Formats: sequence, structure tokens, C-alpha cells
Amino acid sequence: MTAAITVTELGKTYVVPEREGGVRAALVALVRRRTREVKAVAEVSFRIEPGEIVGFLGPNGAGKTTTLKMLAGLLHPTTGTADVLGYTPWRRDRDYLGRMSLIMGQRNQLHWDIPVLDSFRLNQAIFRIPPAEFRVRLDELVQLLELEELLRKPVRNLSLGERMKCEIAGSLLHAPAVLFLDEPTIGLDVAMQRRIRSFIAEYNFRTGACVMLTSHYMADVEALCRRVIVIHQGRLLYDGDLAGLVQRFAAHKTITVELEEGAKVAESVAAGLVHGAQVERTATGFTVRVPKTETPAVASRLLAALPIADLTIEEPPVDQVIEKVFAAPTSEVDRDG
Amino acid sequence: MADVGLATPDSRPALSRFSLAALASFYRERFAMSVAVNVAYRGAVAIWIFVTLIQPLVFIVVWRTVAGEGETGGYTANQFVAYFLVMMVVDHMTFIWHMWEFEWRIRTGAFSPLLMRPIHPIHGDVCENLAYKVLGLIGVLPAAVLIGVVFDADLSGVGLGTVLPFLPALVLAMVLRFAVEWCLALAAFWLTKVTAINSLFFALTTFFGGIFAPLAVLPGWMQTVAVWTPFPWSLAFPVEVFLGRRAGADIWLGYAAQLGWIMLALGGLALLWRRATRRYSAVGA
Amino acid sequence: MRHGLRVLRAFLSLGVLNLVQYRSDFFIALLNALISLVTQVLALSVIFTATSDLRGWGPNDLLVLVGIQFFIAGLIGVVMRPSMEALMEGIRLGTFDYLLTKPADSQLLASVQMVAPQAATDVVVGVGVVAYGMTRLGVTLSPLDVALFLVMLLAGLVIVYSFLLLLATCAFWFVKLENVLVIFQALFGNAGRWPVTIFPPWLRAFLTFVVPVAFAVTVPAQALTGQLGGGSALLAVVVAIGFFVVSRLFWKFALRHYTGASA
Repeated sequence: MTAAITVTELGKTYVVPEREGGVRAALVALVRRRTREVKAVAEVSFRIEPGEIVGFLGPNGAGKTTTLKMLAGLLHPTTGTADVLGYTPWRRDRDYLGRMSLIMGQRNQLHWDIPVLDSFRLNQAIFRIPPAEFRVRLDELVQLLELEELLRKPVRNLSLGERMKCEIAGSLLHAPAVLFLDEPTIGLDVAMQRRIRSFIAEYNFRTGACVMLTSHYMADVEALCRRVIVIHQGRLLYDGDLAGLVQRFAAHKTITVELEEGAKVAESVAAGLVHGAQVERTATGFTVRVPKTETPAVASRLLAALPIADLTIEEPPVDQVIEKVFAAPTSEVDRDG
Repeated sequence: MADVGLATPDSRPALSRFSLAALASFYRERFAMSVAVNVAYRGAVAIWIFVTLIQPLVFIVVWRTVAGEGETGGYTANQFVAYFLVMMVVDHMTFIWHMWEFEWRIRTGAFSPLLMRPIHPIHGDVCENLAYKVLGLIGVLPAAVLIGVVFDADLSGVGLGTVLPFLPALVLAMVLRFAVEWCLALAAFWLTKVTAINSLFFALTTFFGGIFAPLAVLPGWMQTVAVWTPFPWSLAFPVEVFLGRRAGADIWLGYAAQLGWIMLALGGLALLWRRATRRYSAVGA
Repeated sequence: MRHGLRVLRAFLSLGVLNLVQYRSDFFIALLNALISLVTQVLALSVIFTATSDLRGWGPNDLLVLVGIQFFIAGLIGVVMRPSMEALMEGIRLGTFDYLLTKPADSQLLASVQMVAPQAATDVVVGVGVVAYGMTRLGVTLSPLDVALFLVMLLAGLVIVYSFLLLLATCAFWFVKLENVLVIFQALFGNAGRWPVTIFPPWLRAFLTFVVPVAFAVTVPAQALTGQLGGGSALLAVVVAIGFFVVSRLFWKFALRHYTGASA
């Protein structure tokens, strides 16, 4: 099966002016201007098959949005090639534009002062959507996103969440086969985030559209993406499934112990069993963070020595893992799957 | 059945191929939309119309004072009045403001969604511009009539014989000035601040376009230079035709000049736009 | 009073730092000023090939007048207009409330909150043009003339400031009319470049008492070129005081309405 998106050694380097703070440096800058090169994206490569939902993870300034914009066709890369649905995105072939959609969170593409439906009709004209098809798609989107009440209102009068729903609907009227979503749930309340997530999943299921999404919210990624690509300092750090990410980068596991009814364990005894690892008391027992490699050994020691009612071993939460990954500067590249 | 609704269609419109019907459909929607927006902001629109009246009014006062009882450059005081009030209408019908807006559009990334649409952004601007001009006539035309009455304009040269040839001249002038000034607006892709180049351009338009004074009143060298610029063809020429100051072959030559400049301007526009989008894509959206 | 001066100085020095950071703004402002000046001088030269004087104003008189217009426009552009624009935007966005919480008079704060030092180029150009015009006129000014001129200039500035404040204060009620200051800009920039005496009486009255262009530009220019009558001078001072008082009262009224009405 031909890939929907193929990226080869894609890179983007910016030239930015350099200025230090303070009045003296500012005066110098009046006469002489210095610049430096910033590598926003450094030779990333990956393939995405049709129908996949892929999450793009990375801290601010990692290069996620830059990569997305290159694939959408907004930016010319400095190096490398990309092929999306058989087109080179930055040529901005009109047929390509009619097959893809770029949705950016907190960015309005709908017209501010006029009713939502009128903006939709304008999109119909722009994308030359036949009236019958427009009608059917609109009804479908209105039903899935609960837009019935909002269609006649000017965008100005909508709440942030309602606006986002309308933006998304407006961007899907022309049946794109590839969706680029840049922080689609940013600034929205939890309920709305969930609703939009389920819509994206539903849309992907019904249409087989390929989805690339960047987000700061782990919940988005966990809910939607079986596959994640991690970008850090412009480099591709990891490409594979979410579980594998945690496995690879998590250094610790958490053992939660529930003691039998009425049983008590002295501090020193517990500390001795876990060889100095941090022990935190809970209402029913305690938890301890143990290096991954030592987990089986520590667990069996605890089980053998203490009156334990229940023992669970857990991975740390994904965002903690990610945080640690980003905190450490690394030039490792890993490809999986 | 529901699945069929959202599923990818079997056939897609050939967006790369030009379609007059599709463009007309877009213009209809966009124009109606822009009219609605202008009506919603009618207070601000009224202020802009009021501002449109100021410069011609000041020039009327100045040139009437200069002409006094006699005439200057072939214009009596009352003929000056006629000239400036017709110029006011023509200026209103031909001007654009986008050269002030592009800097903002680029800085805030507002161009990005426009570039993602399979339609040239100029069409949206044309609709926006036309809607304002058409609605603005509601204020500008009565104001012109009022000024004509209060200052006793001499419109003796005007008749059906001048109004008929005026109409195509006006339409050509609108197209020409829009094309030229949209090119100017593209400068924002290279210069971070465009106020200086805009100011310079408007200074040239004011003199060579005949906004400050009828071309016949300007010194000889200015008149010679003016003819070789697009400015008089988008402003002074239609005004002179309306007032009956141009006749016969002169008018046909004028149309030819307008058409020639339009072709140059559109060619320049296409070239600059290609360069501009490349730059936007290179520097950052 | 001293507190007010300190506030003013703090804002101005912030503005200077900004200026150094944005050198392009400074050069652009200079370019704009020069283009504007050349345009006006060119216009004057065209006019004076067609006539020898404009209702008693010769070419050098008009140069002085244009110079004064630049000078006043520069002063307006440095702090008055940016602050009024910031005031109107603050009211629209709700950030105006921050000014109310500060321990200084809100009108003073609102009037100096934004500085655009690049407009100082207009001031410099204006002074240059006035000086040039005056030398060509060959008029010698007595200390009394100079004093009168300065008083007229101050009166003009006070009137313009009060007028702008009146316009901007309307933003408390008409939030959607953010371009209302443009009316003054257009009138001042167009009508302000010509002596108000060439206008027909009814327009002259409008430009004197409704939108005070006359007092800002023509009257100080008349003081320099020796055309100022005692009556006009006195009127200027009276109108200045009147406008200032009215704008202050209107400001207080607007504040009462604003803080009283909002939840």
C-alpha cells in the first residue's frame, strides 16, 4: 500500500537576528546586525500509511509545528523531500489543497462577523463542492459535532469551544484525505476536549482520512494515537507506539503495596527491603519507586517478607516520562515498528 | 447510509483548472458577505466616508482662492469645484487600502489560511473592496451633490455625451488602480515596515494622478512625467472625460493607455505574487 | 504635581529605550516626515506659480504655517495620540481597569501611557521649517512677540489635547468606533496645512470651535508672521481654558458612568 505521507531527511533552518539585552548592546545593534542559524527541524524521516492517526509530541520549539507546516505546504524546507498523497506539499498544487486540511488551534479561518453557515457556504464555493454532496456532508458534521444551534450565529458570539467545533467542521466540508491538526484542543475545557477527540476518532473511522496531530495534552495523544513521533530539538527521537515509548524511556516503575487488615510495618524494615529507595506511606500501605531493572527482585522480596494483601506494579504516567525525555538533551534517534 | 455521507468522494473537482462558474459563485458569496460586514460596522464606515470628503474639500477651498475671479490653467473657481467633486467620487471608486493591511496579515500569520485555499487571495480582497465602495456611494454621492450646490460647481461640460464614455473609463481605472496598488501591497513581504513606501506612493498618486490639482495646472515637467506613469490613467483621465475636457480620438487613446497599463500591472502582479509566496514560505508562516 | 512629573519621566524613558531597540521605526519616521514635507513644499510651489499670495499669505508665511503644523503634529504624535489610542483600546479590551487601580490621577495616566518617540522627527522637521521660513521672511521678533507665540502655541496644544481627550472619552459609550481619532488626523493633516482664513466663514467656524485646527496651527503661525490680532490671542487663551475644563469634566463624568455601571 502506498504511504499517504512519506518524509525523507526533511529539514528547516532559519536565520535569525541575534541581539543581547541592555542599552549598550542595543546601541551596537543600531549599527551592526548579527545573525545566527537556528535548525528548527533536522533531517527527519518517517512514513505514514493511509488511515493512521499519528501524534506528534515535543516541547515548545521542538519543531513539531514547523514539520506540520512543511507537510501542509506553508513552509519550504531547507533540505529533504516530502510526498503527501502523491504531491509535493510546498508547491501548493490546487488539487493538493483540495485534498488536505490544516486546522490550527486558536486560529480563526472562519469569518468573524458573519453566521457560521455563511462561512461554510463560502468554503463550498471555494472548494467547488457540488450542492448535494455539500448538503449531505454538512448534515453529517452538524450531527456529529452538535452544531445545529450554532449555524446561524456569527463566529464572534461563540465560545472558544463552539468556535473550535465550527472551525473543524468548516475544514472538513471538502472531504480531505489528510488532516493536519495543530493543537486542536488548546484552551478548551475538559468536556469539549473529550468531545473533539471522539469526533476526530469517529471521523478517521468513517472516512479513513489520515490524521497528523500535535498536542501538548497527553490525553489527546493517549486517546487518539496508537503511534507517536517524538521530536526534540528538531530531531526525531522516537517513532512507534505509545506503550513502547514509556517502556523505552521510563527508568522507574512504581510498586504499590496494600498491607493486610491491621498489619503494620516499621520504617526500617520497609527501607531495608527496598534497599534505600524512596518509600511513601499511604492509607493502606505504601508505594515505592524502584529502578526498572530491580523491580522484580524488590517485588519478590516484599512479597516474601511482608503481610501483603495486594501488590501492583505500574509504569509512571506518560507525561512524566515525556517530561524527563525532554529535560535531558539527547541526540539519540530511535525507530520502532 | 450515514457512512456514505462523510466518506471520501469518488470524484473530486479539478481545482487546478480554471472555472468561471466557480469563480462567479465565489464572488457572489464573498461580496454578499462583505456587504453584511460593512453594514454591521456602519458606524466605522461612516467615519471613513466622512474622512474621504476632507481632502477634496480642502483642495476646493485652496484652488478657489487661487483662481479668484479669473482662471488658472484653464479652470475657473467653479470649474475647480466641479473637478474636485468628480475626483472625489472617482478616487472613492478606485482606491484600495490593502497596502496598509498586508503588514499585519504577515506578522500575525493571517496569510497562512489564505494560502491554504485553492483560490487566489486577491479575489477575496476585490470583493471586500467593492462592497465598501458600493455601500460608500450612499454617503459619497449625496456629499458630492451637496458640495456642488454649496460651492456652485460649474458642470456645464457634462452631458450624456460625456457620461457614456466615462463609464468604461471608470471601470478600467478601477481595475488598473487595484492591480497597481495590490502590487504595492506585496512590498510587505520584503519590507517589515511599509509606511514609508506607501507614503511615497500616495504622494506620487496625489500629484501625478491629479488629486492635488488638475494636471493642466501642474508645471510642464510634471505633466510630461505623469503621462508615463499609471497614475493619471486611474484618476485624472476618467474625471476629465466626465467633465467633457477630453474628446474623440483622445478618449480612445486614453482607453488604450489604460488597457496597456492594466496588462503591465497584472503581469507584474502575477510575477510578484509568485515571489512573495516563496518568500513567505521560506521565512516562516 | 511632582508625582505626575515623575510618572511622565518614567514613561518617556521607556519610550527612549524602545526607540533604540527599533531603529527601523526611527528611520521610517524620518522618511515619512521628509516625504510629507516635500509633498507640501511641492504643492506650495505649484500654487505660487499660479498666484502671488493666498489671501494675504505669501509663500514664506505658508512655510512657517506648515512648519508649525509639523511641530504640533509631532507633539501630538509623540505622546497624545498614542496614549489616546491606547486608552480607547484599553476600554475596549477591559485593560483600562488597570489604570484605575494605580495610585495616580487616571486622566494623567491615560494621557501619557504610550509614547512613540519616533514622532519627534516631525517636531524637529517642524522647527527647521519654521526657522527657514522666518529667515526668508526677514522678520525680527521682539521678546514680546516670542512670548506671545509661545503662549499661543501652548494654548493650541492644550486645545488639541482636550479635544482628543473628548473624542477618546466617547469610547466609554461607543466601543466599536475605534477609528474616531482618524477624523481629527485627517482634518488636521489636510486643513491644518492651510491658513484657516482662506476657508468660507462657516467652515472657518467649524475649524475653530468644533475641530480646533485654527487654534492649533493658524493662530500660532499668525503670531510669528505678525498677523495676530489681540482679540484672537485672547480668544485662544479663553478657548484653551474652556476646552480643558470641559474635557476634564467629561472625563470625570465618563469615569463615574464606567465604574458605576460595570459589575
